[in-house]
Amino acid sequence: MNPADFPSLPVWPPAVTPLAWVAALLLLAIVAGEATRRWLRVSRVIGYLLAGAVLGPHAAGVLDVDTLETLRIFSDIAVGLLLFELGQRVDLGWLRRNPWLLVTSVCEALLTFVAVFAVMRLFDVRAVTAAAAGVLAIATSPAVVVTLVKDLRAQGQVTERVMLFTALNTTYAVVGLALIFGWLHFESAKASTLIIAHPLYLITGSLVLAALLAVAMILLLRLFGRKPAFQFAITIALVLLTVAAASELELLVPLTLLLLGLFGRIFDRDRHFVSLRFGHSAMLFVVLLFALAGAGLEFRGWLAALPMALGFIAARYLGKLVPVLLFARPSSLTARKASLVQLGLTPMSGLALLMMHDLAQQAPALAQEIAASMYLAITILAFAGPVALQFALNRAGETEEGEP
Amino acid sequence: MSDMQFGPSKALTFGIELELQILSRRDCDLTRGANDLLRVIERSGSQSDIKPEITESMIEVATGIHERYADALDELRGIRDTLVTAADRLNLLIAGGGAHPFQHWSERKIFDKPRFKQISSLYGYLAKQFTIFGQHVHIGCADGDSAMYLLHALGRYVPHFIALAASSPYQQGVDTAYDSSRLNSVFAFPLSGRAPIVDRWAGFVTYFEKMREASVVESMKDFYWDIRPKPEYGTIEVRVFDTPLTVERAAALAAYVQALARHLLIGRPITVDDDLYLTYTYNRFQACRFGLEGLMIDPVSHKHVPIHEDIVSTCEKLAVDGQELQSSTAIDLVARWARERDNDARWMREQFAETESLADLMWKQSRYWRTGV
Repeated sequence: MNPADFPSLPVWPPAVTPLAWVAALLLLAIVAGEATRRWLRVSRVIGYLLAGAVLGPHAAGVLDVDTLETLRIFSDIAVGLLLFELGQRVDLGWLRRNPWLLVTSVCEALLTFVAVFAVMRLFDVRAVTAAAAGVLAIATSPAVVVTLVKDLRAQGQVTERVMLFTALNTTYAVVGLALIFGWLHFESAKASTLIIAHPLYLITGSLVLAALLAVAMILLLRLFGRKPAFQFAITIALVLLTVAAASELELLVPLTLLLLGLFGRIFDRDRHFVSLRFGHSAMLFVVLLFALAGAGLEFRGWLAALPMALGFIAARYLGKLVPVLLFARPSSLTARKASLVQLGLTPMSGLALLMMHDLAQQAPALAQEIAASMYLAITILAFAGPVALQFALNRAGETEEGEP
Repeated sequence: MSDMQFGPSKALTFGIELELQILSRRDCDLTRGANDLLRVIERSGSQSDIKPEITESMIEVATGIHERYADALDELRGIRDTLVTAADRLNLLIAGGGAHPFQHWSERKIFDKPRFKQISSLYGYLAKQFTIFGQHVHIGCADGDSAMYLLHALGRYVPHFIALAASSPYQQGVDTAYDSSRLNSVFAFPLSGRAPIVDRWAGFVTYFEKMREASVVESMKDFYWDIRPKPEYGTIEVRVFDTPLTVERAAALAAYVQALARHLLIGRPITVDDDLYLTYTYNRFQACRFGLEGLMIDPVSHKHVPIHEDIVSTCEKLAVDGQELQSSTAIDLVARWARERDNDARWMREQFAETESLADLMWKQSRYWRTGV
C-alpha cells in the first residue's frame, strides 16, 4: 500500500524535529538536575550540564552541532535574562560608599590577568594568545552566580560581593577581549586608528544602546503597571531586542545586557520594578542554557591539555585569592568570609565558551594554540564552580540550609 | 527566688531600646545582615550597645541609663550615625517602623542563638511573623512596690503611647487599615496582654512563682505584656511603642513616659483596681486602629475623648514635671504631634500615596531614619 494514499499517517521512523529535541533535553536535564540535588546534594546546575554533556556531540552525539545551533536561541535568551538580572542586582553606588571594593575588584582582575598571562608564557604560548587567555580568566560565570543565588535564596555579604565582583569582572573581560581584537586588527592591518577606534565604538555603542533600551523598558513597564506577567513578557522582549540590536551593530552583547540591567535599575527612580522577578517561567531557559553549555563542553585530548589547563586554573585561583584576602579588612569583611567570596568567584561556564567561540572566529590560529587546554579548564570549572559557590554560600550562613 | 529580687534603681532614670530593620539596597526588602553589621561596629571600636535580635534582618540598639532627655537624644543620634556608617559599607539600609510593609516571613532566617531557636520551634510561624520592630522604654523605680504602682497607673496611657508611635500601617503588601498593625501580631502570643492586678511587689512574686511552678513560664522574658517589670534592672518596661521612624521621636516618647512617671509617682492620682482595666482593651484597639484619631474611654469617668485631646490635656498637666526633668521641649513636641495628628503611620501613608511603591516607601523611611528630616 502506498503511504501517500494515507497522508495522515506518519512516516516511520519519525523525523526528530528540533522541538522534540528541546523537550527531550529539557526533561533529561530536569531529571538529572533533581538527581544531583537530592543524591549528591550539589546544585541542579551540575545535573543540567551533565545531561547536555552526555547527549552532546562530544559524547553520545545524539545532539549534533547543527541541532545545537538551532537551539542557540534558547541560550541567548537565558544568558540575556541572567546578565540583565545581574546588572539589575548590582549597585554601583556601593563602590562609592566602600571604595575598597573597587580596589579589590580592579586588583583581582589585574592579578588574575597577570598570573594567567605569566603561566601561559611558561607554556611557550604567544604573547597575544596568553593575553587572551588572561582576559578569559578574569570573568566569573554570571549565569552560574545568578542561578545559584536565586536557587539557594542566598542573602548576605558573601552573596552581594560575589555578585558585585562578577558583574565587574565580566565587564572587564568583555571589554578586555574587545581590546585584544583591536590589537589583532592592528597586527594584521597595521591601521593604528583601529586599535583605538574599534574598542571605542564597541564601548560607547554598547553604553548608548543599553541606555536607550533601558529608557524604553522603564516607559513600557510604567505603561503597564505592576503586573508580573506583563513585566516578564516586556523584559523578555527587551532583552531579545538588546541581543538582536547589539549583535546587528556588532557591539558587545554581554556588556550591553549587563548595562541594560544597571541602567534599568538606575532609571527606576520610584523603585517600581525593584521586585522584578522572573520566577519559574525563566527557569525553562536557564535549564536549557546549562544543558546546551554542557553539550558544548569538550572531552577529548584531556591528557595533553591537562598541564596547561591546571596551570591556568591555579593561576586564576591565586590571582583572585590574593587581592580578595588582602583588602578584606579595609572593605569591612572578615578574612573567613573573604575566602568564601573568593571561592564563590570560581565558576566559569557559558560566557567563557562564548568568548572562546568569538576568539576562534576572529583569530582561528590564535584560538587553536590554547583551545584544547581552555576547553578543558572551562569544563573543570563549569563543574567545580557551582560546587564551590554553593559551599561558600552555605558556609557563610547565607542560604536556607547553611550553617552560620 | 533571687532572680525576682527587685534591684532598686534611681527613680525616674530611663533607657531606650530600639529594634531596627535591616534592608537590602536592591529591593528594600528585609535582608540578612545583623552578623556582618555587628562585626563592623565592633571593629570600629564603638561603645554602643548593639545586639542581634530574633532574625538576621533585625538589630537592637540600646542607650545607657539617662536622667535627661537631651543626653538620651545625643546618645541615640550617635548610635544612629554609627549604624548608618557601618550599613553604608555593607550596602545595607537601616530603617525604623513597626513592621516591614511587604516582607515574606517565610524567607526570614531565625538568628542563631539558642533562645531564638527555642522560641522559633515553640511558636512556629508566629515567631517568623514576629519580625516586627518595637521601642522599649525602661523607667527606673526606687522599689518593687512603686514599680507595680507605676506599671498599672501607666496602663491608662497605653493608648497615647500606641497612637504617638504607630508606624506599622502596612504588612504583607497591604494597608492593614490599622495605624499600628504590629500589636496585632503581639496579641497572638499566649502570654501577651497585661500584668495581673497586684499592687505590691511581694504579691507579684507570688504570682510569678505560681506561674513558674505550673511551668507556664520559665522567666520574666516569657511574658509579652504591654508593660512588664524588669526586676534585675529595677525598672518597668513599656513595650507598646512601634519603633518610630526617627531617633528624635523615640527620644521624645521616652521623655513623655518619664514625665508621666514623675507625675504619677508624686501625685498618685490613679487608684489601682479592677476598674482600671475595664476599658483597657477597647482603648488599645482604638489606638491601634485609628491612631491619634481614636476614641478612648476614661476607665473612671467613662467619658469618651479623642486620644489626641487626651494627650494634649495630659501634656498640660506635665508642665512642672517637664521643667523639673528638663524635658519641656519633648513634652511640647508630643503635644504638637497630638494637635496636628502627626504620627509616623500618617507620614508613611502620605509618602506611599506619592509613588504607590512600598519599596520606595522603605527607601524614604531609611532616608528619614538617617537624617531625621
